[in-house]
Amino acid sequence: MRLGFRPTSFSLKYRDQRSSIGMCLTETLDEMVSTGTLSPELAYQVLVQFDKSMTEALETQVKSKVSVKGHLHTYRFCDNVWTFILQDAVFKSEDRLEQVKRVKIVACDSKLLTQ
Amino acid sequence: MANNVSAVYIHVLDDVISKVRDEFINYGVGEGVLNELQALWEVKMRQCGAISGNIERSALPKNAAPITPVHDLNVPYEGPAEEYETPTAEMLFPPTPLQTPIQTPLPGTNDPSMYNIPTGPSDYAPSPISDIRNSIDLKAGRPGSYMPPSPWMSQRPLGVDVNVAYDEGREEPDRGSSHQHATQDFFMNSSGKRKRDDYASHINSGGYIPQQDGSGDVTIELSLTQDVVSQVKTSSIVQDQGTADSKFLSKKAEPALMLPQHDGIHDEYDDLFHLQGVANEDYNTPGDHVELRAATPSVGTPKPSKNDAGEDDEPPLNEDDDDELDDLDQEEEETNTQHLVLALFDKVSRTKSRWKCTLKDGIMHLNNRDILFNKATGEFEF
Repeated sequence: MRLGFRPTSFSLKYRDQRSSIGMCLTETLDEMVSTGTLSPELAYQVLVQFDKSMTEALETQVKSKVSVKGHLHTYRFCDNVWTFILQDAVFKSEDRLEQVKRVKIVACDSKLLTQ
Repeated sequence: MANNVSAVYIHVLDDVISKVRDEFINYGVGEGVLNELQALWEVKMRQCGAISGNIERSALPKNAAPITPVHDLNVPYEGPAEEYETPTAEMLFPPTPLQTPIQTPLPGTNDPSMYNIPTGPSDYAPSPISDIRNSIDLKAGRPGSYMPPSPWMSQRPLGVDVNVAYDEGREEPDRGSSHQHATQDFFMNSSGKRKRDDYASHINSGGYIPQQDGSGDVTIELSLTQDVVSQVKTSSIVQDQGTADSKFLSKKAEPALMLPQHDGIHDEYDDLFHLQGVANEDYNTPGDHVELRAATPSVGTPKPSKNDAGEDDEPPLNEDDDDELDDLDQEEEETNTQHLVLALFDKVSRTKSRWKCTLKDGIMHLNNRDILFNKATGEFEF
């Protein structure tokens, strides 16, 4: 039984399948709702709070700076969301370097984020 | 850095739990459910590898003393004894035999004495540090950050296998389609949507392929018996079929070059046939053929035949240029190991083909690890 609500694109971003923390939370909530332990409304409240907490944590707790370079394979701007697909990208942060053959970047407009 | 990410995640987890606590109370649900939520969430994150095993937890006392409404996150986590008051977490990770005499070192209790006993307790694996770490993980019952995240790992093999099968199954027809590229990946992808039609018919016919798409499918026919080949020859015939036919019969690439080229335009077909000759050897085994076809989900009409038909009259339509992109899109939906960055953008700009952007507050999932950033600058070449 899936939670029956439509999250905003921004909130969905952190709960995206491939964001570990968001996915784990969504899975946990799904399980609890399907077993009846948790009501869907309450699960939704948890997710809303998760978005806020995640945003705040990223703003305050994380201080690292990253640079990205790569070949832009695809770009898309729709509903104020930029989606880039890069190939052979290099992500450089203070202490590590990551190279990936293909990566998708989804970015929401920071100016719209006054929730 | 992984620890730092774990710390942030734990902080978020605790923050969420503490903030929804009031909601739970208002709904009359009770603390037990909240604790279960927290425990389950945390367990999943450990399984994913999103949290490593060695982080400071200030939230666990919350489980031990569920009555505390306001929780001071600044209080350092104290002592392993309280950890055992989290029954759900413990039950989910039953102690392994190795761990029995030792307390489970939940994160926060980075007890060096336990970890630095290479040969001490005979319960542990012998000396190497890696073994110790493995045994520690066993002991803790929780996978460390270097353990593969199960949800993604479980899906990855499928993706890889499919791709390999793609290559095997689609080498030959694909080569004809893509004039420009010789890489197998492209062949695999450029087979594209059209190949699905043929694929279905291949499967149904059990190796015998009725020509349904109307153009001469050189490579497919050749993988079958000669009867079928001759049947194909009588169906929609393109001149090159004769070329390919004899080529396949001889199992050599050279005959293709010796035969007159009737389509007149694309000399690179010589090269293509040469390539096809190499691949043909695989296709001459019907068994292999069937197996290889079966593995190719996105199958369409083999490209050389289409090109044969097209190039008689006009330049190539480049119909398949976007197939690679489409297949990539599908591929990314199938596999959750996709590298991904979720962030906010401040500015995105472009000068000619040079893109620049500034991002902030993002999560990156790359190479199976999570990295958080406050600011990011990107420079891409389109």
